[in-house]
Amino acid sequence: MSVSVCLRCSGLRGAVWSALRLRPPAPGSPCAAAGLRLFSAPAPGETRPSIEESTAEYKFVERLIPPSKVRHGAGKVSTGWVPPSPSPPDLPYMIRRSRMHNIPVYTDVTHGNRLITIVRKVEGDIWALEKDVKAFLKDVTGKDLPTQVNEVTMTLKVKGHFDRELKEWLLNKGF
Amino acid sequence: ITLCVSSFAGESAVPPNLLLPTNLVDPSRHRRPAPPPDTALPILRSCDTSLPAHLSPVRTWVQTLMNPSDEPLGLTELHPDVFAVPPRLDILHQVEIWQKNFKRISHAKTKVRSEVRGGGRKPWRQKGSGRARHGSIRSPLWRGGGVSHGPRGPTSYYYMLPMKVRVMGLKVALSSKLAQDYLHIVDSLDIPTPDPQYLTELIKQKHWGQSVLIVDVGEEFPENILKATEELKTVNIIPAMGLNVHSMLKHESLILTLETVRFLEEKLLWHDIRFSPLYPFKLPYSDI
Repeated sequence: MSVSVCLRCSGLRGAVWSALRLRPPAPGSPCAAAGLRLFSAPAPGETRPSIEESTAEYKFVERLIPPSKVRHGAGKVSTGWVPPSPSPPDLPYMIRRSRMHNIPVYTDVTHGNRLITIVRKVEGDIWALEKDVKAFLKDVTGKDLPTQVNEVTMTLKVKGHFDRELKEWLLNKGF
Repeated sequence: ITLCVSSFAGESAVPPNLLLPTNLVDPSRHRRPAPPPDTALPILRSCDTSLPAHLSPVRTWVQTLMNPSDEPLGLTELHPDVFAVPPRLDILHQVEIWQKNFKRISHAKTKVRSEVRGGGRKPWRQKGSGRARHGSIRSPLWRGGGVSHGPRGPTSYYYMLPMKVRVMGLKVALSSKLAQDYLHIVDSLDIPTPDPQYLTELIKQKHWGQSVLIVDVGEEFPENILKATEELKTVNIIPAMGLNVHSMLKHESLILTLETVRFLEEKLLWHDIRFSPLYPFKLPYSDI
């Protein structure tokens, strides 16, 4: 026990190694002639396997790395998601899907009581969309709701929360 | 009865000492019309990614730098989500101002009353001397005193616009260049001579404008064009990774190669379909 403790001291270790002459024997030395060898060195006729680098296990890590692009929307899903129609509807405006393939209608609440519905990602004639939205919401609610058209950002804001109705309506149109 | 007589009827009508403003639209600049749908020239490149169903690709001419003659080689199809984006001038302004200011560090610094040399002692007693009461000779009221609300030390004006805004700025700049006929596509940047004069004559002949920005993908450029653009101040060449809104606005026309177009479309369209980053995009993802 005390001997092993001593051997762990690096200062003594070099002295012990050189004293016991534990280096592999030089080819012409008397140790090699006598047939002595280190246990770790291979026997004359024996072949030890060389070190192999294998990349076979990399796949277990690679499959954990996440993708960066959103995949294309699947066909039939049980969540109630409806894909856009393959041909765009024959209207003067177009509403693209968001990057997660959803209808871009969002709600906003400011000052606790100001409810606004926003329709984003509009292309084409936004005033025709505004007219249609006003007519549709007049059927639904019976009121003329104030709307705001922003031609620079191509968004439409409507007073009130109508995201569910507008999403259904746009889905039925085929956007 | 002709009320307005054009003074640009012929070269003889222009007086020799006429000073035209430099930003005047050159009437001799021949605008090549957009390629008609029934051209005989081949389409050298079509869009790699699939387009949305309601959009069609934009077509432009592809020219050469080898022959100074005016005929295009063929057509390219450009993705409308990169080259035909609505002209958002506010985003362009935001990105340009960001590019100008985010690098700015102003080193203006003035000394405060505590930093000015001296002024520890009360100059005269509080009461009885007849003069106004003061505590130090370096207060901001005094001549030679410290500045009370001056610039303090190096201030940084660093801020980052969201990545998608910067990407949109690039798309808007490219679309604006294309819409104003300042974007030209070239098959490759090979020139017969490293002479800068050749380039200036070519640009003048093709009416490309006062200043030209040449963009190519890759780490190596042909030697001839590097030597030709080295001496010229108004013709500059940059790699595609160095494309930015300020350079595009500074130079009048923009020259892209076909590989640059492919590279730009790939990089700029990825931002429309990517997830938000779980970890920085510099680290590996499975499809980057």
